[in-house]
Amino acid sequence: MLYIIVIGCGRLGSYLANSLSRTGHSIVIIDKNQNTSRLLNSEFSGFFIEGDATEFSVLKQARIDKSDVVVATTQDDNLNLMVAQIAKQIYQVKRVVARVFDPNREIIYRDFGIETICPTIISGEVFLDAISVPPAAMGGK
Amino acid sequence: MSASAYNYMQNKYSAILSYTGTILIITSMLFITPLFLLMFYPFESGQSAGFVLPMAGLAGLGFILRTITRKRAPVVLNVQEGSIIVLLSWIVVCIFSALPLMINCQLNFTQAIFESVSGWTTTGLSVVDVTKVSHLVLFWRSIMQFAGGAGLVIIMLSAIAGPPGPGLSLAEGRTDLLVPHVQQSAKLVMIIYVSMIFIGTLLYILAGMSAFDAINHSIAALSTGGFSTRVESIGYWNSPAIELITIILMIIGNINFLTIYLLINRNFKAFIRNGEIRLSALLILVSFIILLFFVTIPLYDTLSSSLRVAIFEGVSALTTTGYTITTYSNWNTTGYFVLIILMLIGGGTCSTAGGLKQYRVYLMYKLLRTEFKRALLPRSAVITPFIWQGDRKEYINDNYIRQLISFVFLFICVYAVGVLILSFYGYRLEDAMFEFASSLSDVGLSAGITKSDAPAVVLWTETIGMFLGRLEIFVIFTSSVKLFKDLFLKI
Repeated sequence: MLYIIVIGCGRLGSYLANSLSRTGHSIVIIDKNQNTSRLLNSEFSGFFIEGDATEFSVLKQARIDKSDVVVATTQDDNLNLMVAQIAKQIYQVKRVVARVFDPNREIIYRDFGIETICPTIISGEVFLDAISVPPAAMGGK
Repeated sequence: MSASAYNYMQNKYSAILSYTGTILIITSMLFITPLFLLMFYPFESGQSAGFVLPMAGLAGLGFILRTITRKRAPVVLNVQEGSIIVLLSWIVVCIFSALPLMINCQLNFTQAIFESVSGWTTTGLSVVDVTKVSHLVLFWRSIMQFAGGAGLVIIMLSAIAGPPGPGLSLAEGRTDLLVPHVQQSAKLVMIIYVSMIFIGTLLYILAGMSAFDAINHSIAALSTGGFSTRVESIGYWNSPAIELITIILMIIGNINFLTIYLLINRNFKAFIRNGEIRLSALLILVSFIILLFFVTIPLYDTLSSSLRVAIFEGVSALTTTGYTITTYSNWNTTGYFVLIILMLIGGGTCSTAGGLKQYRVYLMYKLLRTEFKRALLPRSAVITPFIWQGDRKEYINDNYIRQLISFVFLFICVYAVGVLILSFYGYRLEDAMFEFASSLSDVGLSAGITKSDAPAVVLWTETIGMFLGRLEIFVIFTSSVKLFKDLFLKI
């Protein structure tokens, strides 16, 4: 059983929270907006915290010092980076995963030792597959 | 109805019945527990059939429900479906729990249902003559309170079978999780509850109770149930030590499990900050002073018995336990009024207590204060009232206020109707108000109306009051309407 903190209760964050909660993990999800909690369905049995995840008081309330995993899934790359950094550097959370939309920023994240997932690259590759042109034929990048 | 809609309904109700079946099977295990007492009271073995037969019936029904609904798609339950499950299983369980009483102590159907609902809802009003029934039956009454108090059925279901969704716990009136997962929370609640009962039993034994009395009273005090093994209730022992232990156990039983968890984790700041703690401390103090000076000092000879009665009865009413060390027949109306108000306010949310709940009263007080503030501040000032839930700050939005108003209105309506029905039978108004407040808030103090020879209508009115009071009244109304519509209007 892992103690997982999810930052951002959007479509992705709520999906992760629901699935992880169903499989028996302890989940705390943080979002600035209380209304987003409606995306959590009845499989979710963790805590929802309304607040700004860049504030220490909110992270402390979520017991970040006791967490095993932190996942940053907000729309904002910079915010994800900042929270991930706080989790990694200050609280030494074992595993930190962040979402980053801008492929150019991935290098910065890697320098900080933060795992990233880039939806832009992932969907780009799937798109390329779909129109059946191998990525190599596009000439690099 | 179209084929797909029919399929959807069938799927949904299969899931509902299947979960209900699981709950029934789990609950049927409880029926065995009184039989362990046969080790100490072997001469009562003649009564074991009265427990084994209902258990077999309940478990059988559970298995049948599970078998006929086996081929179902997995469904995630929402609040409404959860409440239908709770409603159905509570009704079935209450009926089956009445059977041992009918078989073993010659109660008729009305009396047995009354006693079983009183047990499961942790009320403690009783029509059983405790001097004449066996130890097995006495212990069975305590087991009902033990299970009903913790919302044990749901807790066990989520601990064993995994989360069926928060709908169930919402309908049973417990929504607060101790840790961010329902299964771990359920286990923690069970551990806290059982160890407190164990400690309570030890304390009672040290204070001079027999082991059998100790365990029964410890269960009934912590579940805020209030069934006693003696006619005079706690008054039988006439011992300040036992009264003190009982007061402490009742207060613990009335505190929200989440708040107790804070206390165990030594988070005293969050504990003191909790609105329910503050409110109940204030209420206990104020009611003690009023009862002392206006009721007990004029009534009793010695100061010590005045003090003891004033504190004990106030705590018993507020925590909705219903233990007593005296009778009310010689009390003045001030005493009645104070106890009625305390009973109607009732205990903490998500505790084992009933009533309006201190949380709602505290919320109303907060809103009143906010309105005053608003009147004094400039018109454009922004005020956001909040309350502390554990160590989380929760802002009060309109949604809360809507639910609060609807609940309070419904509660008052049900209370008025109940008092009206009791008054048809010629009881004095204060007695009728006292007795129905005691039923609706699941307290169990009695002004003398509840007796085995009371008219059947009176007993049924109180039974329904207890039932509505224990399960969240609002959820029960909406889910019954939903059930009725689904069953009779659509198919």
